[in-house]
Amino acid sequence: MTRSRRPSAQTTAVVLALAERPTAWRYGYQLCQQLGLKPGSLYPILVRLADRDLLETTWDTDVPAGRPPRHLYRLTGSGRALATELAATAAAPGATATRRSGPKGSPNERWQGA
Amino acid sequence: MRWTRRRVQTLTTWAIVVVWVVVYAIALANADPLPPLETAVWQLVVPPLLWVVATRLVLRHWWSGPGSQMSATDLPGRLLAVAVAALPERRREWGRAMTAELAEVQGRSARWQFALSSVGAMLWLPPASGWPVLALVAVVVVASAAAAGPAVGAAVPGLRVFAVTFTGLVGAMVVLAVACSRRPRLRLPVPAPTVVVTGGVVASIAVTANFLRREPAAAQHLPPAAAVYLAAVLAGCLWVALAAPRWLGTSRLAPHLGAAAAVVFAAWFWLAVHTDELEPPLPVMLVLAPVLVCAPLAAFFVPAFAAGRVGRSFRSGLQAAVWTVIAMIPLTYALWLPEGLRRHAIDGRLLIDGEVVAPVGMNLADALAFCLGIFPVLGLTLAVIGAGLGAQTSDRAGPDDHAPGVPRASR
Repeated sequence: MTRSRRPSAQTTAVVLALAERPTAWRYGYQLCQQLGLKPGSLYPILVRLADRDLLETTWDTDVPAGRPPRHLYRLTGSGRALATELAATAAAPGATATRRSGPKGSPNERWQGA
Repeated sequence: MRWTRRRVQTLTTWAIVVVWVVVYAIALANADPLPPLETAVWQLVVPPLLWVVATRLVLRHWWSGPGSQMSATDLPGRLLAVAVAALPERRREWGRAMTAELAEVQGRSARWQFALSSVGAMLWLPPASGWPVLALVAVVVVASAAAAGPAVGAAVPGLRVFAVTFTGLVGAMVVLAVACSRRPRLRLPVPAPTVVVTGGVVASIAVTANFLRREPAAAQHLPPAAAVYLAAVLAGCLWVALAAPRWLGTSRLAPHLGAAAAVVFAAWFWLAVHTDELEPPLPVMLVLAPVLVCAPLAAFFVPAFAAGRVGRSFRSGLQAAVWTVIAMIPLTYALWLPEGLRRHAIDGRLLIDGEVVAPVGMNLADALAFCLGIFPVLGLTLAVIGAGLGAQTSDRAGPDDHAPGVPRASR
């Protein structure tokens, strides 16, 4: 049995949501609300994206007094390339076969079935 | 209802008193013969009194402090904080990220959902070494635990359940280490106390095997539940010594004080056993009596008090208390069984009650009850009181006690 190496539907949704405004930093809770995902689903996805250098993170220290700094996320160059690829394959008719493998050396290949 | 410190203290006091009265009444109802009146009153009053004092001190330190979030954070926040504290260092950033987002979530139900889901996420964060490596290690551990039963059972039949349980628990620690670190390394920040505990655990296993080889009938005093308990306690001691949680590893003094106190306690135990046998002359007894009475109490109270006072924090005292207990348990147990065999060979009496002629295997049951039950429970209670008083009598509260983010006593 060949293991599918394409990102899951939820991961694809997260990547595409982040790619809507690729230069903007996004909050985790904001993404949860936008995508209707629970943090239990979202954060493991964000961790995997960051582990594969598809996502960059930083801390927002400009928060009201007494609140902890918030974590911010946006796609890296590789992440944006993956988003472009995912958007293209999602839009293409009969794209399933192409999505399973992706071109060699592409960000999709880098994903490695997470 | 608002859970104030005073209300929780009152509630826990009543809970301790009621539970102990019920337990003691059941014990008396089944006792044959009944203990003398003064002994019964002492047993009824003193243990719950110590537990109440210790619990109130813990709650006082848990609740108080200007930086503590315990009074400001709701239950979902506390739950998440505890889960974050348990994350490995390289993943803690993500735990802090979830904690920060929880601060933005409004509404009780939504906050609970967010916190519970986040705790679930922490359980499923990708392991540092990757799932295949983790799965491979887990398979090796399961195979080792399965093989340990027949292998040890062939040599010492009474030790089969213990071997399977102990191997499985130690293996689970290895799996946890592999999951938390890309390249797990054995770090020994306090080598001497670690060697004392590890040596005690190894000696405990060796003396149990030797005891059961020499007295196979004693296996009836190590039923499966007791074997599992023995394995869990020894594995727990090993885990704290080799991979101490962060909140136990911040003070360098506390582990040394704790291990030294455990050695003192073990020496007291040996001395008490031999003094009872030799019946030394009165002048020697007059010198030894205060030592024999005070040493076991001091062994638990003093290191925790000193660590709490020097470290200027309740947590430092608690660290010494835990190290005292995890070193005392295997050291005392490892002394008990050979001493029990020796004593029984002389006059057929048990180690703990020299007046009773009983099967030698009863020593195993006594060792389990005292070394893994009564000594740690009462000792830890005394040590917690020592830690609380030590922290209170220090000039000022230490910085450790005011670090925000995690409940104080759980760090």
